[in-house]
Amino acid sequence: MSSVDVIAESRGVKGWYTNMMSAGWAVPAFVIVWLCIVIVPLLIMVYFSFLDMKNYQVYYEDPSFKTWWTMIDTGRWVAVVRTLRITATLTVIQLLIAFPFALWLAKGCQSKGVKASLITLLTIPFFLDASSRIIVWRPILGTNGIINTVLMDLGVITQPMEWMLFSEFAVHFGMLAPYFPTMVFPIFLVLTLIDDEYIQASSDLGASPGQTLLHVILPLALPGIVAGIVFTMVPLMAAFVEPGMLGGGFVNLLGDSIEAALRNLKYPTAAALSTLVMILLAVLLVLLVISSRRRGPLGEIFRTMKR
Amino acid sequence: MTDEVLPNISATIHEQMGRKSDLFWRQVVSSRGWVQLAKWLGLLLIILTYIPLVWLALMSFSERPLSGLPYPLTLDNYVSLAGDKAWRLPLVESVILGLIVGLVCMMVATAVGRAVPRMHRPGGVLLLALTPLFVPALTMGAALFIFLREYLDLRLGMWSIFIGHIVWALPFALLLVLVVVTRFDIRLLEAAADLGASRWRRFWDIEFPILRPGIIGAGLFGFLLSFNELLRSIFVRGSETTMPIYNWTMAASHQSQVPIIFSLATVILAVTLPLMGGFFWLLFARLDRTS
Repeated sequence: MSSVDVIAESRGVKGWYTNMMSAGWAVPAFVIVWLCIVIVPLLIMVYFSFLDMKNYQVYYEDPSFKTWWTMIDTGRWVAVVRTLRITATLTVIQLLIAFPFALWLAKGCQSKGVKASLITLLTIPFFLDASSRIIVWRPILGTNGIINTVLMDLGVITQPMEWMLFSEFAVHFGMLAPYFPTMVFPIFLVLTLIDDEYIQASSDLGASPGQTLLHVILPLALPGIVAGIVFTMVPLMAAFVEPGMLGGGFVNLLGDSIEAALRNLKYPTAAALSTLVMILLAVLLVLLVISSRRRGPLGEIFRTMKR
Repeated sequence: MTDEVLPNISATIHEQMGRKSDLFWRQVVSSRGWVQLAKWLGLLLIILTYIPLVWLALMSFSERPLSGLPYPLTLDNYVSLAGDKAWRLPLVESVILGLIVGLVCMMVATAVGRAVPRMHRPGGVLLLALTPLFVPALTMGAALFIFLREYLDLRLGMWSIFIGHIVWALPFALLLVLVVVTRFDIRLLEAAADLGASRWRRFWDIEFPILRPGIIGAGLFGFLLSFNELLRSIFVRGSETTMPIYNWTMAASHQSQVPIIFSLATVILAVTLPLMGGFFWLLFARLDRTS
């Protein structure tokens, strides 16, 4: 056993310290800065949710659950339930479309040019300004938008379809495409890592495509599916621009409540709502990991992928 | 005893289920329709992503961009864009901020990314570094605002927007650098040291050229993510306005100003789309060839 192994084995504060310093000054410096600008703000936010406001000043004495109780009284839970419902609906739709598509892209698509082009098309939206490409749905879906205008001119409808804009439909519709790449990419990456020989072996042994999909591809793709769900859910849970512009004030989500609370200087309320988002996400994450464990230890899959 | 019985039962169940689903899936796949469906549903969502961009460009030539057909056509929106000065400062500030964020991402991601795999137990640091990816943008923005403005009582400005952007962009930059670092053979550096190369020469002549794709990627991601960041900036902006904030306020509140952001967004897209498209296509085509 070399001296390095001995150091790595040692536990406690000393072991933690040697581990930190084991690769130069960059890591400890980064850890300190990152704690200050990521972890501490989040903890302070949680702390604020237990505080109170007096005369527009944050009152630091005797923290209580007051803000949390008023959230239930003021009916903010309606927004919470609505956010969860829309997030769940969209995540399921995304997954149902993304998994088959990722499978086709990773294993079915033969042309490398097409593949590279599609991945490029999926990457670019990640770097586009959100407001300008969401606002443009208004002249498409609105009562005097292009769809209604054309359909009325053709005589298909006599009244403009008002449900298309400033409605839950519009919010769902507007968030469908922007969050699609975050679901496709993790699944696609995991699927490309699956050795073609596994799939070949499975069918050589007499498994039908369905059995191969269910017993070979799906378990191996599970980490990607979990990652896809997480990275789609995280932004959806706090979506704010799309519901604001396409919901027209009728579809209030948690994101709107947080922004409104901050604008009205209700810091404890904003803190409590943000904390709630984090708690809900953490619960969903834990449920997801537990349910995927049942299909085989997740760590094992990661280890086989690392090869 | 149970060890012998249970596998038999499960095998029988699997056989039973297998036979049923076998027939089902054979029908499914033989029709080929499902493959087409999988492909076209995905493509539909991709098309749905780009329809707004095309429509944005079309409507920017329309007299009334917020309604119906792009008719009558006019260049008025571009004329008023050229005459308007309000968008220039946000654009300049966003470009400068993006460049700074990109540069900092490059340097920090390189310094940290090459050190992390050399740690004895890198897991904790990695998890800490990637935490912002699991925190929704609004929550992070609210947390930074409450911490910096309310708790520390600081005056917000470009510096706090910069922090918000770094928190978002650095995890991606770090991941990009880590991808190339983990492929890097550390023995190359030991060999160079044995041959008498100084610390700096070892980094500059051997490590940097090999890590270059990851480092450049980190810088590019830093710039692009910062240039389009909205949700965190909204809260920590103080009285500053970046390009996405300008677009957002114009789109959300002042209806009369909307035509300007149509033409402005079209101009920015006309510059950035071909660049990004070309870059990513080359990147992915090359990645596919090497793998």
